[in-house]
Amino acid sequence: MPAIKVKFTNKSIDKLTIEDLKAIQDNYKDPRVRGSRASILLCGGAACKARGSAAIQEALLSELKNKGIDGEVSIYETGCNGFCNQSPVMNIYPDMTLYQTFKPEDVPSIVEEHFTKGQPAERFVYKDLKDKKSIPNRQEIPFFSLQTRRVLNKCGLIEPDDIEAYIYHGGYMAMARAVTGMRPQEIVREVKDSGLRGRGGGGFPTGLKWEICGVRPDETKYVICNAGPISRSIVETDPHSIIEGMIIAGRAVGAKKGFVYVREPDNLFILRRLHTAIERARLCGFLGDDIFNSGFNFTIDVAFGAGTFICGEETALIRSLEGKRGFPTPKPPFPAQSGLWGRPTIVDNAETFANVPLIIANSPAWFRSVGTHDSPGTKIFTLSGAVNSNGLIEVPMGTTFRTIVYDIGGGLKKKSKFKAIHIGGPTGGVIPESLLDTPATYEAITAAGVIVGSGNIIVMDNNTCMVNEAMSAMEFGHGESCGKCVPCRIGTKVMYDKLLDITEGRGKLQDLDTLAELAYEVKRTSLCGLGQTSPIMVLTALKHFREEFEEHITEGWCQAGKCRSLSTFVIESKTCSGCGSCARKCPQEAISGEKKKPHLIDKDLCIKCRSCFETCPFNSIRIEPGVAEEVDSW
Amino acid sequence: MEGNILIVDDNDIIVKSCESILTPEGFVITGSTDSSEAIELIRNNDYDIVVTDINMPGIDGYELIRQVNAIKPSTGIVVITGFASQQNIRDILQLGIIDYMSKPFSPHILIETITKAMYLVKKIKAIAAGPDSETEAKRKTDALNAIINEYKTTPGALLRVLESAQDLIGYLPPSVQRFIAVGLRIPVSEVYSVVSFYPYFTMKARGRHHIKVCVGNACHAKKAGQILTRLKRNLNFNEDSLTADGRFSYETIRCLGACGFAPIVEIDYDTHGGVDPDKTLDLLKDYH
Repeated sequence: MPAIKVKFTNKSIDKLTIEDLKAIQDNYKDPRVRGSRASILLCGGAACKARGSAAIQEALLSELKNKGIDGEVSIYETGCNGFCNQSPVMNIYPDMTLYQTFKPEDVPSIVEEHFTKGQPAERFVYKDLKDKKSIPNRQEIPFFSLQTRRVLNKCGLIEPDDIEAYIYHGGYMAMARAVTGMRPQEIVREVKDSGLRGRGGGGFPTGLKWEICGVRPDETKYVICNAGPISRSIVETDPHSIIEGMIIAGRAVGAKKGFVYVREPDNLFILRRLHTAIERARLCGFLGDDIFNSGFNFTIDVAFGAGTFICGEETALIRSLEGKRGFPTPKPPFPAQSGLWGRPTIVDNAETFANVPLIIANSPAWFRSVGTHDSPGTKIFTLSGAVNSNGLIEVPMGTTFRTIVYDIGGGLKKKSKFKAIHIGGPTGGVIPESLLDTPATYEAITAAGVIVGSGNIIVMDNNTCMVNEAMSAMEFGHGESCGKCVPCRIGTKVMYDKLLDITEGRGKLQDLDTLAELAYEVKRTSLCGLGQTSPIMVLTALKHFREEFEEHITEGWCQAGKCRSLSTFVIESKTCSGCGSCARKCPQEAISGEKKKPHLIDKDLCIKCRSCFETCPFNSIRIEPGVAEEVDSW
Repeated sequence: MEGNILIVDDNDIIVKSCESILTPEGFVITGSTDSSEAIELIRNNDYDIVVTDINMPGIDGYELIRQVNAIKPSTGIVVITGFASQQNIRDILQLGIIDYMSKPFSPHILIETITKAMYLVKKIKAIAAGPDSETEAKRKTDALNAIINEYKTTPGALLRVLESAQDLIGYLPPSVQRFIAVGLRIPVSEVYSVVSFYPYFTMKARGRHHIKVCVGNACHAKKAGQILTRLKRNLNFNEDSLTADGRFSYETIRCLGACGFAPIVEIDYDTHGGVDPDKTLDLLKDYH
């Protein structure tokens, strides 16, 4: 880890006072206007990085130099904008023009149009999906304008490593207030009043958890932030909001030590960002001894797991921090009573902590101004699958899934027909069209039979086979089961085998009842969240799409063409124009035919990869029931 | 399991009993009670594994190991020792051996250790990179010791030590696990239980470039399966998911949390998103 130096624009200080914070707020120039004329905010999220943001940065630097305006325009790398579908993305301040899906070689024309001619480079701005009108301004793009970004407020607009930028946006003021002006009980009361619930999926009231921990008489207590992949986006874009939330939590419950738990030790990007943020906060005096001369001490360390899903469960996470196998333990005792090394411990996820400074700074009433009575505030979801705009979104709780899919997500992609949405990450489940008006609250989602989980929403279209998805969910369930409880360890395996049988044409109708029964029992009798949620996909798929399972069994037909043994690909001779595009795509060269005449698929060669089905511009490929393979009798 | 094994011990009973235990397992055993005779045997024959005692008259075990490393560096070495002190183990490990057994040992332990060692030797031979040279092994052992000493007094440091050890050595073979257990004063079984639990840790050697294919449900929906099929079909991985030239190894992982960007393939530390299954092989071009 390289030594981290903190440079301030105002003065170099090793410990800041509250007056200093105010001075920074007044004097600090927003990085967005540090360039005298404009600033380019280049997105450095994972998606944009992978699509060449580094090369783009180089191209920008050299092009600005060519034009002789490199002194007037500065470039900053921000955290993820959340608009990953359109990556790479960059915003240009002050007019907030957003450019998307461009290549390094397009940079000269963008610079020419934007800076020399002074108009947005039409080709690379966002186009409305319906009327194809250009929307150059970031704030007017439906994907952004329909969201309520509170936690993600600064995401894509500040340099995540820049602590001054965070302070400029009001950062660490809530912490200053909590540490110097509030008693611990008052902090707990505010969090309790706000109704904030754990964003990690379970939805346990955060204030209540803090109260349980706060009243314990123990000398040593711990605060743990679970920064698993789910909340990776916040760590990436705004790490200081998590640190500030953790300090406030430490003050509220009387803990002096915090850990940020990162699941993957090889995720250098996240680790570097966390180390930088913690080190800078320490140099500013926000971490360490006697914070703001209040006599309150708090430090934060980064701790790693070694990559298991189960360690997202709080008791398993604690075991992993203790250097043991990540086995969950029964609750009670809750970690808030007896956690890490037997001491009272608060485990919350990064999104929860990021909400805390907002509550302290703005008041619980402000927090409750959006969302519902029982699920107040906003929630971050990741939206992916067959929608037009996917990425990271933040909406008030209680927003319906229909709004999320059709308004923010811009509806389904061309040629796609809505089938279901999958909510809750790998252990979540599906809800069909009829339940699309379910509001995104903890109660309503649970009532629909699924979970908030990781907040991952996948939109599934008619190309999805529910049996196949259920099978992959069970593969995950039995692969990630820690092995402690029998129902989860063996039940999921049996369910996986049954589902595999169905997808390969060996299923029987009574298997469906066995599956439902097993799923119910695994859910009921498992100790921890993993076992209780991994059968959800099977339960919901069976509930809403039972006919699809029956079709697989009785007709041997997988309409989506995903189960190889249960589908045959046939070209409809009436509509086939003989364009040959399917033949060119076929990896097996199984498609033959003369130009402009109907083509034919050789069934023996076909490996059912679906590429012809996806390529055909005339929808001439039909998926028919599979041909039963002859089985040698014993 | 098959393989040629040479057993060197000045005690005839040990040689005979090893022979009678290992022969039914399918191994071809040669025994020798004289270490200078053993060196001649090694020079003239190809053994996969040499099992040797440390305390022997004339040429002792340490010298024998040095000789084997010089003559046939690709031979795997397993040590039988009656003196399993930490200093002793450290000296032996510095010679770049595969594993060691403390006397007395049961037939069960013998079979298990030899089978594991044979498995590793075959793999090392497969990737055509002989075991570490003596200086390299010494450097690694010293570095491992430094890691252990750094964390010796920290509670719950096992995961950190294992991570650093894997960084250093590339994987966590049985000898390294035992070394760590002795160093941290915890049972070997506890180390093994942690290593086998967390997917980040590996007991198998990896290729020069390690490919991770995400098969989480978003990536699964976006054809991660086809990416995997293409890799498997074109790279000819063996049963340890390693290519014959040792260039690539692969594993499947579950969800990196960047689902908006599925399907995802990670090669070493580079993340490739939105991978087109047809172009999977193009990704590998720059990794030699």
